[in-house]
Amino acid sequence: MRRRGLRLLPLLALLFPSVVTVRASSPIRIGERAAARKPLPPYRPGEVIVQFATATEQSRAERAIREAGGWRARPSAFGQRYLVTLDAGQSVPEAVGRLRTMREVEYAEPNYTVRAAFSPNDTYYRFQWNLAQIGAPRTWEIQEGKPEVIVAVLDTGIAYEDFGPYAKAPDWGSTVFVQGFDFVNGDTHANDDESHGTHIASTIAEATNNGLGVAGLAFNCTLMPVKVLDNEGRGSFFDVAEGIDYATNFSQGGRRVRVINLSLGGSAALEVVRRAIDRAVAAGIVVVAAAGNESLGSLDYPAAFPNVIGVGAVDFFKQKAVYSNFGPDLDLVAPGGDIDQRNNADGDPDGILQQTFDPETAQRFGRYDDFAYFYFDGTSSATAHVAAAAALLISQGITDPAAVRKALESTADDLGSTGRDDDYGFGLIRPAEALKGLGLSQ
Amino acid sequence: MKARNAVLAALVASALAPATAARGEEVGGFAVDAHVGYSELTSAKSSAKAVFGGSSGGVVYGGGLRYALRNHFYVGAWARSFAKDGERVFIADATSPVFPLGHPLEVRIVPIQATVGYRLSGARGIVPYVGAGGGLTRYHEESVVAGETESTTQTKTSWHLLAGVEVGQGRFRFATEAGYSFVPNALGLGGVSKVYGETDIGGFSFVGKAVFSFSHR
Repeated sequence: MRRRGLRLLPLLALLFPSVVTVRASSPIRIGERAAARKPLPPYRPGEVIVQFATATEQSRAERAIREAGGWRARPSAFGQRYLVTLDAGQSVPEAVGRLRTMREVEYAEPNYTVRAAFSPNDTYYRFQWNLAQIGAPRTWEIQEGKPEVIVAVLDTGIAYEDFGPYAKAPDWGSTVFVQGFDFVNGDTHANDDESHGTHIASTIAEATNNGLGVAGLAFNCTLMPVKVLDNEGRGSFFDVAEGIDYATNFSQGGRRVRVINLSLGGSAALEVVRRAIDRAVAAGIVVVAAAGNESLGSLDYPAAFPNVIGVGAVDFFKQKAVYSNFGPDLDLVAPGGDIDQRNNADGDPDGILQQTFDPETAQRFGRYDDFAYFYFDGTSSATAHVAAAAALLISQGITDPAAVRKALESTADDLGSTGRDDDYGFGLIRPAEALKGLGLSQ
Repeated sequence: MKARNAVLAALVASALAPATAARGEEVGGFAVDAHVGYSELTSAKSSAKAVFGGSSGGVVYGGGLRYALRNHFYVGAWARSFAKDGERVFIADATSPVFPLGHPLEVRIVPIQATVGYRLSGARGIVPYVGAGGGLTRYHEESVVAGETESTTQTKTSWHLLAGVEVGQGRFRFATEAGYSFVPNALGLGGVSKVYGETDIGGFSFVGKAVFSFSHR
């Protein structure tokens, strides 16, 4: 499903001479540099902001503050505004309620916390225009993913372990993997020997804010490598069905797979795959698949199956990518990029930048440890964005596959014709909007 | 709407006709009350249950003023406050399960109403009454998602019907009152109320009143 790949390294080496191919020997150092983000409380305990009417005398304001349970007030330099510190044991909502009933009070509200919009410190994050396009910084303020949410990546495998000629990619940081399976070679080591699967998995959960490389969208979720494609990116639908059933039946300490990413496809609508997908969805798993990269008016299978979220690709301008398949089965679009374009002013191709190993080195020398950051484009990458968004929604509490699908569709940026259309489906995903959910009237 | 206006007109006309005082109070007498009770968003029950964790009602409190007219009629004005905390949710459609998302949400509803009522004859010291009226209802919703506050405030025309029983003969009395309010077009353009197709924030309420009469008989 990968359309083409382009290695970032030579381009960046010109800009950053110290940047060299990231080797697998660095994971320990990465772990030490990882910075944890702690969630902020919604507002500061024991603090209330109150604005008095202009004509309010200071003595009256002080009395009002005392009556509301305040023992100290810091005046603003710009008018009758105070930051009130409440007596111990005083409830902020109750104090706000009391102040709001007072005639001289224009408004009173908790002192809500703020922080700088989260911008990961990963070295090449600024090249990830795709994450900005779907509002990833705001998304991460709401949800970064939970480890108990497992995303199975059915692909060429993942560079997730040091095993024989295979190596763990360096920018996994603290990303957790659960036991997968290699249906191509029939063993439990689903290592990547092609590079595609590692790139896709990195879009979903590459270590983020660890001062290295790039970011993944659902970086606190857990990955499961399931190898169903060989070292040329080819496979059979039998193995795909086997992989889906493996993911469906997996259970570890009560944790189950919640999302299956299928950045693959073919032209046949095989019953064996359709039924495996139906079983997965019935088990509460969201199944996401790539529309295909042939610019055809119909989607590949399994993307075209009704129980699957079929994903097309858009470029930097939110236009349908030239290669992206389209049609009535298309549900959503996400950034897939186009490495033939250089429109985003970063001087690099407008592809999706993630870690993986050099496929040429792998093919020529049988080495799977020549890691770097590569630009890929295609509906495969777009699919990974949607799978990650689904994992975030599940982390937030939307646990039903139909509800996850509806949440993504109903909050999508409606591109193209108004309403669902065949080029963009319901539109470009906006995970932050989906994560907000619904109030009573808004 | 026509029937409602006709009823109101008849009540007002009858009240203006020369006759006896309102029962328990002299014509021109004032009474004030403070009340507390339970109010339910009956017309938006599904939406309320979704965001309030299964409950569609809560405590309401307020106060009012009453003025006795002729022929046992009275006019009054009252205001109440209903506030309830919940959380933002997601629902795929009206028949789907509700998924709470943990983002805090607060709803506050404040009706300010005028009532025309009629005090019926009853046993000694027990005066049933009925009334109807209208006014404005302020609706405020506020939620916080990861540090960002979203809020909406709107004021809508509203209507109500009520019936109650007042007990006591002195200046201090007690009453219980049931009512139903209509606040059309306050909801339904977004949020879960759009999914459920619920547009009215009104509903059933039941309050207990402590009444102080400035002039009694």
